[in-house]
Amino acid sequence: MPAAEAGLATVGATPRAANSSPATWSRFRYPQSLYKYAALLASLAFLAFSVDFLDIEPDRLIGMLGRMGEMLGRRYFPPNLGHILNADYWHTVVETLQMTYFATVLGLAAAVPLAWFAAYNITPSRRFLYKPARLFIMACRSVHEMIWTILLVMVLGYGMLPGALALTLFCIGFAGKLFSEAIEAVKPGQIEAIRSAGANQMQVFVYAVLPQVRVAWTGISIYTWDVVFRAATVVGFFGAGGMGWYLRESVQRVASKDVAAILLSIIVVVVLSELLSAWLRTHIAKAVA
Amino acid sequence: MTAVLEVRNLRAGYAEREILKGISFSLGPDDFFAIIGPSGAGKSTLIRCVNRLVEPKSGEVLFNGVELTKLSYPEMRAQRRNIGMIFQEFNLIERLSVMDNVLTGRLGYTGTLRSILRMYTKDDIAQALRLLDRVGLGEHVDKRADRLSGGQRQRVGIARALIQNPKLLLVDEPTSSLDPKISREVMTLIREMAAEFHIPVLCNIHDVDLACDFCTRVIGLQDGVKRFEGTPAELDKAALQDIYAMEVL
Amino acid sequence: MNAATLELRVAHINARRQRTRRARYLIYAVILIFVAWSIQAIVVKDTDWSRISLASLLDTFRRFADLDTGMIGELWKPALETVVMATLATLAGLVLSIPVAWLGAANITPFGKASYAVGRFLMTMSRSVHEIVWGLIFVSAVGLGALAGVLAMAVRSIGFISKTIAEAIEDVDPKPLEAIRAAGGSKFQILWFAILPQIIPVFVGNMIFEWDINIRRSTIMGLVGAGGLGLLLFRQMAMSNYGGIAVVVLAVLALIVFGEVASHYARRAVI
Repeated sequence: MPAAEAGLATVGATPRAANSSPATWSRFRYPQSLYKYAALLASLAFLAFSVDFLDIEPDRLIGMLGRMGEMLGRRYFPPNLGHILNADYWHTVVETLQMTYFATVLGLAAAVPLAWFAAYNITPSRRFLYKPARLFIMACRSVHEMIWTILLVMVLGYGMLPGALALTLFCIGFAGKLFSEAIEAVKPGQIEAIRSAGANQMQVFVYAVLPQVRVAWTGISIYTWDVVFRAATVVGFFGAGGMGWYLRESVQRVASKDVAAILLSIIVVVVLSELLSAWLRTHIAKAVA
Repeated sequence: MTAVLEVRNLRAGYAEREILKGISFSLGPDDFFAIIGPSGAGKSTLIRCVNRLVEPKSGEVLFNGVELTKLSYPEMRAQRRNIGMIFQEFNLIERLSVMDNVLTGRLGYTGTLRSILRMYTKDDIAQALRLLDRVGLGEHVDKRADRLSGGQRQRVGIARALIQNPKLLLVDEPTSSLDPKISREVMTLIREMAAEFHIPVLCNIHDVDLACDFCTRVIGLQDGVKRFEGTPAELDKAALQDIYAMEVL
Repeated sequence: MNAATLELRVAHINARRQRTRRARYLIYAVILIFVAWSIQAIVVKDTDWSRISLASLLDTFRRFADLDTGMIGELWKPALETVVMATLATLAGLVLSIPVAWLGAANITPFGKASYAVGRFLMTMSRSVHEIVWGLIFVSAVGLGALAGVLAMAVRSIGFISKTIAEAIEDVDPKPLEAIRAAGGSKFQILWFAILPQIIPVFVGNMIFEWDINIRRSTIMGLVGAGGLGLLLFRQMAMSNYGGIAVVVLAVLALIVFGEVASHYARRAVI
């Protein structure tokens, strides 16, 4: 990096003893240049290692764009819109919305107390509630929402319920972490004041914390809806309800034009949702502040 | 004269550092105590040990005869209702209105469910209005707290502390964030209202002149130790030098 | 203020608070109605409750709890594969993000509003399409295997990484840019010498964050045969080995925790 090199020239400049040879400027000063080239070498070594380790065939990359172009042009185009313009498909869109709604409302409702317990500054019990709450949120976050879906489908069978529950767990993990981070950033003076009046833990939370995090939480909630909706369009692929089920079905039939149509509808729906939430975020932020 | 607050051999601090090294004093019902001393002397810690916002390590704090350090959390909360506190940075809930801020002083007396739904009693609201009128903010009742000036915010803090009907007022550097003229007004207001409601005051203050003008008794703290206790008249230059050590005043 | 005015004011305040309270309850009621509707659709209508009973649930949990501990020795290679995939994908995502960020940064975008719009569109596209969908797309292009998974995650990462880079670029100190422009530098030289050095520390932290997320994503890239714990998981599912599935999920959890700890320390070292 150029400025790093320039930095090398200045940072690496060591004062020279009076009787040593005259100072010369070099772009490559030891040991900074050693670190830099070592890092570069390490990155290349890692690249080579990973390509080998993962059994990646680099020659598949060549011609990839060509293949993608051909694929898009012949196999996926024109998308079979007829496949999706029927009542059944619209019903799955509604299903996707219902799952999203269910998961977001219930997930956010559960995330609020969990975030309260998982926030180090105001958790009601640092001994008994803090660690379990943090662990639960982390567990919900770590497992990919599709894995939750697969597990729950195995337990409950096909249908919307496993999808809705999986999305709820995902929502708890996602929003819970962001909510608790917002709580940990509040000004402590207000908490002190409410405590000193003799309020209990719940009152401290409602009066000293909630007014401060209200704005941040609203933005987070809308963002969470977005993310949950995006996942909801795909959970059907693994057996939960919604648009993803159609996707799986047409992938298995290798009906590429149908797949293209469904993918297109998914993208359209997600982008619409994003536009709506972007609009909501700017307008609600003003109202809630 | 029975003491409202009696502190005996109070020690407080962290594992590595002791901040208060055995403080003792006694506060009567008509007293207005000022605690002075250089920064780091432990003034803030001392005030917060009284209502246990900071946990003392050892020693006793007797409030109207009740040993506060031995109380459980719910019992302590009940005692806190009777101790009003005024803060250096005002510590108002910025997004709430002036009225809502003052009403938070009643939280210790309001049940959890009612307080969450913000259903305070009519008496609470009436009391809040009266206090706000008395501190001169009758016209600003519905204003959001963050729209007020510093002096106005501190008045809200005073009203909030007084709506608790406290038996003791803890005041932590009430004027550090205010300019000199407003500082005097706020100190005057505190003294007047404390006298009006017969509430003794324990006040941290770094401005020595201001302290002497308003208090009945001075406690000088240095490095966690009480170096001086007496009337403002007794606080002469020698005593001040002792408290502030090598600080040039 | 006398007693009469006081009472009037109190009544006025009380009335107003009641109205606000009622409005809020109304909104909550509306939200709850929709929840009830969705619960009705999901839980009541759609679910085949005749097949689910407490006994069958307990039985399934018991099967999961019967951990296939023999597998533990085989977990290391897939776990390493998952981490390597995530790292490679994040680095590739970074490389791909640079041109997108260039287009999507308002102050240095080359063709004004048009290229800015293109840049922002690419960012949105990358985020809107779920990583599984990207995975399916790339499988058609390069076949099953790790390459499809890495490419899918890389493209998915573009959305976040390029957005943070673009924002960092937009917040950059304009003075060094001015200096280079005055000396006759080209747009590229401005990017390389004046902008990049300023933004590197800013986005390294975000990259570590995205790496953490990519570990999570690579656990399901097994769907496209990408290898790692994801492939192991899908194989266990194909064999209906409940105990094995549980072991792999726990391994995923452990790996994510490791990733969180590693990224926490890495971020602290950088910032």
